[in-house]
Amino acid sequence: MRTPFVELRGSRLLKAPLRIEGEYQRPADDVLVRQVRVPYVETSTIRGGGVTIARGAASKTYPLDRAPELAGLQSSFGALLSGDRALLENHFRVESAGSRERWTLRLVPREKAMATRVRELVLHGRGAELRCIETCPVKGDAQRTLLAGAAQAAAGVREAAALAALCAGTPAR
Amino acid sequence: MTPAGRLLLALAWLALLGVLGWAAGRSLDLGGDLRDFMPAPETAEQRLLIDELGEGPGARLLLLSIEGAPRETLAAQSRALASRLRAEPTIALVANGDADLSAVPERLRPYRYLLSPRASAGGLSREALAEALQQRVADLGSPAASLVEPLIERDPTLELLHLAERWQPAASPQSIDGVWFTRDGRAALLAVQTAAAGFDPTAQERAVGGIRAAFGSVRAGTASRLVLTGPGAFAVQVAGRTQREASLIGTLDSIAFALLLWVAYRSWKAPLLGALPLATAGLTGLAAVALAFDGVHGITVAFGFTLIGVAQDYPIHLFSHQRAGLSPWASARSLWPTLGTGVASTCIAYLTFLASGVDGLRQLAVFTIVGLGSAALATRFLLPALIDPTPRDVALWPRMRALWRRIARWPRMGFATGIALAGVAAAAVALAPGAFWENDLSRLTPVPADALAHDTRLRGELGAPDVRYLVTLTARDAETVLQRSERLMPVLERLRSDGAIAGYDLAARYVPSAATQRARQATLPDAATIARDLEAAVAASPFVPDAFDGFVDDVQRARTAAPLRPRDLAGTPLAGSIEALLIDEGDGATALVTLTGLADPRRVAAAVASTGARLVDLKQASESLVAEYRGRVLAALALAAVLLSLTVWAVLRSPRRVARVLAPMALTTLVVLALLRLAGVELNLFHLVALILAAGLGLDYALFFDHAGDEPDEQVRALHAILVCSAVTLLVFALLALSTIPVLRAIGTTVALGVASNFLLALLIVRRPVHGANA
Repeated sequence: MRTPFVELRGSRLLKAPLRIEGEYQRPADDVLVRQVRVPYVETSTIRGGGVTIARGAASKTYPLDRAPELAGLQSSFGALLSGDRALLENHFRVESAGSRERWTLRLVPREKAMATRVRELVLHGRGAELRCIETCPVKGDAQRTLLAGAAQAAAGVREAAALAALCAGTPAR
Repeated sequence: MTPAGRLLLALAWLALLGVLGWAAGRSLDLGGDLRDFMPAPETAEQRLLIDELGEGPGARLLLLSIEGAPRETLAAQSRALASRLRAEPTIALVANGDADLSAVPERLRPYRYLLSPRASAGGLSREALAEALQQRVADLGSPAASLVEPLIERDPTLELLHLAERWQPAASPQSIDGVWFTRDGRAALLAVQTAAAGFDPTAQERAVGGIRAAFGSVRAGTASRLVLTGPGAFAVQVAGRTQREASLIGTLDSIAFALLLWVAYRSWKAPLLGALPLATAGLTGLAAVALAFDGVHGITVAFGFTLIGVAQDYPIHLFSHQRAGLSPWASARSLWPTLGTGVASTCIAYLTFLASGVDGLRQLAVFTIVGLGSAALATRFLLPALIDPTPRDVALWPRMRALWRRIARWPRMGFATGIALAGVAAAAVALAPGAFWENDLSRLTPVPADALAHDTRLRGELGAPDVRYLVTLTARDAETVLQRSERLMPVLERLRSDGAIAGYDLAARYVPSAATQRARQATLPDAATIARDLEAAVAASPFVPDAFDGFVDDVQRARTAAPLRPRDLAGTPLAGSIEALLIDEGDGATALVTLTGLADPRRVAAAVASTGARLVDLKQASESLVAEYRGRVLAALALAAVLLSLTVWAVLRSPRRVARVLAPMALTTLVVLALLRLAGVELNLFHLVALILAAGLGLDYALFFDHAGDEPDEQVRALHAILVCSAVTLLVFALLALSTIPVLRAIGTTVALGVASNFLLALLIVRRPVHGANA
């Protein structure tokens, strides 16, 4: 299964958040592929406790145990994309709110290693569609990944506030 | 003395021995390091071997593979295991393909620009910086952003990551998901270096136990399993198996000993009293060695307990000669010249070990001399107070009598027959095909075939260094040796591209010489240049202007710092690999180059010789060391034989008697050697020790047959005693001969054959014709 995404990545080292477009794919149960198309081409494969990032001819692998939020991303993303609530409950305390048309799921990490880095994940959706993942680190600003319909709606949108609104599902002004 | 009083005295003796054992145990520092049992090395190769045996990189390497689960699970478990093991104090180094930045402590990080050649080769130019910044933007947008972000402020070119990758072994296995895997992708691979020496079995046992425990919690119910090989793992496995088998055989032996003595004397007290002198010998010997030496080697104890087996015979002679109407004290006094001659001549023979120049043999001499001496004195001065003064005289047992009468009709072996037997045996010893001596140390304690197969497989997959060949480079100090290593590296690289070797590792790969580091410093940009180039590159990038302030500082620190020397790494995880590859002894330094996939040793030897390096064959060094060791043992034994003959001569004073008493043990030694050689056995040190024991037993048998004279009753008693002695010894060592462990089997077979031959030959040669009517 595959779904388009738009991400805004902020860093204190960057003048402005980086806007990235591409596609998430899930070719197998425990493999997650993140394909970046714009503004550069990059393929990341999360599998077997490591993430391999390939850019052009170069490729580098980082272990997930030194970035627990990545492990969380793999498990939560995997569980979400396949709709496996039980798997999700293994890794997070889950709280749901909102209506069928505009729901949110708050995921608070259960694992200590992850909890020291990630405060919570907030998922926004509409009906059967997961539209946005908001990752709130313990330190720093939230990172947003817009998916599916929200990613399509974000085409051409550049302002952070507008993208945040799209993520939360509030109508764009 | 009443029976109850005698029993009380026996128990008091036992209690005293218990106290002695406890005291000896307290000061006993039992070591398993094989090096303590070796003679002092003389050649450079032998010295290297002795270092290598314990401290070398090969000996401390454990090879791990995790298999039997899906690839993703294996990769995750490999990472989890590596991170647990990196926190273990018993583990010096863990490599699983996952580049580990924690190997470089914070204070040494500016040195990255001196340790890696990239920075001085244009890696910090304006163009290179602009390209690096582009890549870092993409890194910040990647899933690894949180890992990379804290690194790049000081290190925008990620030099540290390159360095960590450079330090991975040269011939690494394939990497799947960032960790090492076998070629078929079915097993994750790890290489672990222990902190302790390879041949320190207790320390290795701790390390191996730690690894198994860590894997147990990492595995957490999945189907995966751990395969662990390498010298340390083998040492643990072999020691465990030897100990289990030896203790099983020991238990069986004790039961057999007790049963035999009970049957032989029809008294339940006989086994108890019979064991006292042997226990005395063991404990006093152990206590003496513990007090006289700093540490006792495990082999000393094993050999020592083998050699004091003679002491088991002492009480048996006393029992068999005891009868109503004879005071035990008088009996002990009349047996003493014979017993004492045996003990004294054996002890004098062992004295030669003191002069062997090998610490392990000196310990063995002290152990056996003290042990046998105290057992003999105990038999002479303590045991008579304990034994039943009025047992049935064995000379009156009808069956013993019948047996003796039958034996008395046997022919006696004359001088000519003896010479002929010796000639045939000597010819067999000399002419039997096959190598005479076994020089390969590792075959003494062989590793099970399946474990060896695992080891070969993992070694091939991991590209583990060759355990037999090493290249060495020696110079007056560490800096010179590093400079020469750098000149050697292109040669090694050429050998690698030609396929003569698959890879190599040496200290200069981690820490370049100070000269190279100074040359790199000279090419690093100065503060103004780097600040200007960085500013231009940042201005053209999405980074904030002051994002990389720390980087300029680090480059300047690298430019002005004193070059990093190997000893500056002490206490860091890198120290393990470098200390193993660079031996700096103050009066000279040696660099070791480990080789992987060595195809043609002669070509490598010729190629490295041009830079003054040498290819060392550790197996040959080890065999020459074993041969030299054996030479010393044989020289000591030759001298021992002379001393023993002189002692016997001094007591017996008749050339004919001396010849008759010494003939059985001399002939037996030849006969056993001939049998072993004909069976295709290659002899080792354990056979030698076993032959010494057999000779000691043979001397005692001959002395007691000689002592019996031509009086029928005395002959029956001597026959009974020697029959019991040899039956007990034969049983004990025949059980040992059934062992699956070659060391135990070697001792068992040799002694069992020796006892049988000594008994028969003593009977045929020393027994005297009977005078008197009732024969």
